[in-house]
Amino acid sequence: MSRSGWGDHAWRLIHTAPQAPALHMALDEVLVEEVAAGRRAPTLRIWEWAGPAVVIGRFQSLRNEVDRERAAAHGIEVVRRISGGGAMFIEPGNTITYSICAPLSLVEGLSFQESYAQMDAWVIEALRELGIEAWYQPLNDIVSASGKIAGAAQARRGKAVLHHVTMAYDIDAAKMLEVLRIGREKLSDKGTQSAAKRVDPLRSQTGLSREAIIARMVDTFRRRHGLHEDALRADELARAEALAASKFAAAAWTHDVA
Amino acid sequence: MTIERDNVPPSVRYGEYKMPGGKLVVADIHVHGGVIEVAQISGDFFLEPDHALGAINRALRGLPVAADEAELAARVRAALGPEVAMYGLSPEAVAVAVRRALDAGAGA
Repeated sequence: MSRSGWGDHAWRLIHTAPQAPALHMALDEVLVEEVAAGRRAPTLRIWEWAGPAVVIGRFQSLRNEVDRERAAAHGIEVVRRISGGGAMFIEPGNTITYSICAPLSLVEGLSFQESYAQMDAWVIEALRELGIEAWYQPLNDIVSASGKIAGAAQARRGKAVLHHVTMAYDIDAAKMLEVLRIGREKLSDKGTQSAAKRVDPLRSQTGLSREAIIARMVDTFRRRHGLHEDALRADELARAEALAASKFAAAAWTHDVA
Repeated sequence: MTIERDNVPPSVRYGEYKMPGGKLVVADIHVHGGVIEVAQISGDFFLEPDHALGAINRALRGLPVAADEAELAARVRAALGPEVAMYGLSPEAVAVAVRRALDAGAGA
């Protein structure tokens, strides 16, 4: 297998109405499997959140990372995703999250580090067009001179790779620190000042609405790689809904690393 | 995870290590009778396939609390097949986190 280029694929865009956190976890798994099986063209999926969530990485300890009582008090759902990496705190409208489900050939022969940068080269360009000089900071962060903008994670399934990213649009840092057990060392690592009330690089550095930024990002992707509007197939959605209930909303998975 | 709690409750020990150029590795270790009874490795690292984490945890079971970093790393490495890929994680990083947990002692 030799490496394919972005232009070798007929990219699809899925951007639907808000969905529950567990369903988003399930859609990632279903769609990357569909791409691996050749039943779905490579896909960019923009997430809209139906409710607040803490999304922990595949290998993170639930009790070490999350104050579950505080999360419950705020009505925040705690879910575990299929990729590694760190915990994210999500409230609808406060982040921009997307997934790319692509054939493994797109990153064939690349190191992990190179593959992260490769999958997000279009975002770096989109940010530049929005006036933000950003770059990849290994292993998996997108940063600007003002600090962290986004974190990425990948998981591989058969002949496909899932690459998903959460970008900080306007995050309530105080609430995030209530529910995530992040040490001060980790905070400085994330370029976050502990006194900051909001972590809002995309809002403050562009002055644009979240929706406008997403539209500009989609434009950049379409111009670079081509992109056609698409929707979830009924069978994909049905499988994801079943998987959300049986796996991602179930304690066995969320507590898998206790 | 079943932990025998007969006469003496197993001691729980916690250690963490930020791998240089890598990710945070956390070790939660239950010690009983001078050996590692249960090990749970966790962190914000990347590991493919994901069930390799179970292989790492099982590889640490039964090792004496005096095992040094080299022995811990060798046991972890030996448990992982050639298909396993790590990003921000290494057997040596796991060994450091486990060693720190063991050195921290009970109730740390």
